[in-house]
Amino acid sequence: MDELEAIKVTFFQECEELLADLEGGLLAMQDGNDDGDTVNAVFRAVHSIKGGAGAFGLEPLVRFAHVFETLLDALRSNEIPGTPDLTALLLRASDVLADHVSAARGLGVVDMDVSAAMAAELKIATDPNAAPAAAAPVAEAPQYVDAAPIVIGADDGMDDDDLGFDFQPMTITLDAQAADAAVLDGDVWTVSIRPKSDLYRKANETALLLRELSRLGPIQATLDDSALPALEFIDPEAAYVTWSVRVETEQGEEAIREVFEFVDGDCDLEITRGEAPVADVLASLLDIAAPAPAPEAAPVAVEIPAEAPPVSAVGPAAEAAPLAAPMPVSAPAPAAPPVAANAPAPAAAKPAQIDVPGPGQSVIRVDPERIDRLIDLVGELVINQAMLAQRVGEYGIAPSSNLAMGLDELEQLTREIQDSVMAIRAQPVKSVFQRMPRLVREVANMTGKQARLVMDGENTEVDKTVIERLSDPITHMLRNAIDHGLESPEERKAAGKNPEGVVRLAALHRSGRIVIEVQDDGKGINRERVHSIAVKKGLISPDLTLTDEEIDNLIFLPGFSTADKISDVSGRGVGMDVVKRSVQALGGRISITSRPGLGSTFTLSLPLTLAVLDGMVVDVAGETLVIPLACIVESLRPKAEEIRPLGPVGSVLAVRDSFVPLIDVGLTLNYRDRSPPPTEGVVLLVEGEDGSRAALVADAIHGQRQVVIKSLEQNYQQVEGVAAATILGDGRVALILDVDAVINLRRRGPPPPSDPTLIAAE
Amino acid sequence: MSTAIALPETLDLKASGPLKQAFVERRGQDIEVHADQVRRLGGLCLQVLLAARKAWAEDGKPFSITAPSEAFVETIRLFGAEGALLQAEIQGAAS
Repeated sequence: MDELEAIKVTFFQECEELLADLEGGLLAMQDGNDDGDTVNAVFRAVHSIKGGAGAFGLEPLVRFAHVFETLLDALRSNEIPGTPDLTALLLRASDVLADHVSAARGLGVVDMDVSAAMAAELKIATDPNAAPAAAAPVAEAPQYVDAAPIVIGADDGMDDDDLGFDFQPMTITLDAQAADAAVLDGDVWTVSIRPKSDLYRKANETALLLRELSRLGPIQATLDDSALPALEFIDPEAAYVTWSVRVETEQGEEAIREVFEFVDGDCDLEITRGEAPVADVLASLLDIAAPAPAPEAAPVAVEIPAEAPPVSAVGPAAEAAPLAAPMPVSAPAPAAPPVAANAPAPAAAKPAQIDVPGPGQSVIRVDPERIDRLIDLVGELVINQAMLAQRVGEYGIAPSSNLAMGLDELEQLTREIQDSVMAIRAQPVKSVFQRMPRLVREVANMTGKQARLVMDGENTEVDKTVIERLSDPITHMLRNAIDHGLESPEERKAAGKNPEGVVRLAALHRSGRIVIEVQDDGKGINRERVHSIAVKKGLISPDLTLTDEEIDNLIFLPGFSTADKISDVSGRGVGMDVVKRSVQALGGRISITSRPGLGSTFTLSLPLTLAVLDGMVVDVAGETLVIPLACIVESLRPKAEEIRPLGPVGSVLAVRDSFVPLIDVGLTLNYRDRSPPPTEGVVLLVEGEDGSRAALVADAIHGQRQVVIKSLEQNYQQVEGVAAATILGDGRVALILDVDAVINLRRRGPPPPSDPTLIAAE
Repeated sequence: MSTAIALPETLDLKASGPLKQAFVERRGQDIEVHADQVRRLGGLCLQVLLAARKAWAEDGKPFSITAPSEAFVETIRLFGAEGALLQAEIQGAAS
């Protein structure tokens, strides 16, 4: 990948984060937290996207971001009041902005009509007095951008009318000097910019900084190329030239500093109030062959105000004005000593330092493959350490000996390393949650319902392996909650509820698992209807009596759909059973509780990681197996009177007033042909994902242990009844039991003898 | 002997190396720089242009930038480099 492409990739990654911040901020505003900080954060997010997009010449994106930003700017300076309607508009605008970013990335296209309409809306919101006609040029913006030489240039032309900048004719007459003197000294700033090579390397651009500065007011840049080496010795990617810029603005130091927000650290900056010392300004003129003939600039520049009425502020004419205007400042002057350019600013002038982000804010981007490799290695380390400990144990070394104590310490360290490494890969579920508000808005729009998403626990951390696969189930559940759960606004009003439904999405940790809850305050599950549909579709037999809970769970059956008509959103009958299957594939479970008239709650519980597992190590027919601890309810030694035969080969176990099927693991996995009497072994009472219980018979229990999961599919092939494998302390491979599959295998009867016999190999 | 360089549309980080090379190869000849295609000019290429301008001045050879695009002129001005790189008649023309 070429370097610029790589930077672009980083830019888009940042865009994603910025869009998330943007949306987060807007949602906070929607909830009434529209303090200055939030508005500023929102503004900065859009501003950053625009800045980066400008550097890559992503013109439509820049255009849209600009209109958006202008409105936010007006909002944060309290020129327009923040209202719920405005926030809703901003949210929709953020969706369009996200589309632009995707399009710029080559993923999908932007509906230009939608974008133009949104831009027009934003424009009207910025300036309610502007006639719709005045907004038209904005709407057509993307077309004329192509004609404009540089999008930002055209942009700035618009700024001038957006922000009400006037070019004061007096500064461009021959009386310029005098007029300048009339400008309050407080409104004149000298910004000294010394870009570092990194600035260019990160695809930032001094030209853009200067352009941004020119948005604040008329600027005059003076460049200093005294450090520029001879052509042959120039490093094409190093920064040599520095600038001293005279900015005339009423917006103050803060506004100037904001321009340089994105180049923090990549650019030395000094902001001084007032004019720079003449020598400083002129020093750079030394090497300039032909000094600017100022008088020639004046007559032309005078015409500019006439050429730049608000609407026709297109292209470089308006652009050039602020630059041409103060030209007299750079009029030919006697040579000043070149040293002056590098001289520090006079002590009287207060140098303004840019805030450098603290170390806490710095983030390292690492290729996920490297982390995966690290986790693999740490897994090996854990196994190796366990093996070592076991060997030492075999030699009968006293636990108090130095060797044993050293090993204990090693074990602790190994655990800590493992935890820390797992923590590297853990990510807050925020990255998944942040996509959901948009989904809710879109689904609500499509279904004609009013829905508000409340999110909780976005910072709950889960392993990356899990997080990547959370998105689909959550999407499905949210769609389902809005489409099937929430009532229409009219129905809600009739039921005495707020017409706006609330959908709550929450994440929390519970006993070593992550729990995702999707709760709606809708009508709840119509059990009669669910039952009748299930009967009609032949999913259950009509004379079956089901508990409420069982009826609720019918919606997870394949091919079940309650929607009266198939909508775009959901209702194709592929919803909840797909969710259930994908959740189960992750080793999770899903359940639903529903209260008629009050709403339903879907609860999803998943392991925190797919890399390690707490398991019970058992012995079956001489093989060592691991049973996931999450499935085990209890373990017991059955008494003979608790075992009842059932059918020709089967038997059930009486456990506290109920019977559960007894399953001999050795028999099910074909380790042996005949099961020994269960009373000789140990019974593990397990619960499948569907809540069904079974009693697994093993020969002995070795103990509870955390094991590193090694995929069997990747290294060998999928084996029914086995979820994965692991390596134990003694170096032996142990298979991890897929409890659900074992229960299902048992239901279908023993597998045919031709099945490959599994032998845990050394 | 005279030679010419046609500047590409985008003069960014990627263009600065080749641009320098192009000038170095043509050192010692009269040069015309065609800037009609330029849509974007970045700081790095500006540096190369400035260095080339100086080099040609040292050699006493003519160096001219012809038919600069509006974007080129505008950016040069923004950089405050009009004195070094634009000819007098262009310097004055505001549009």
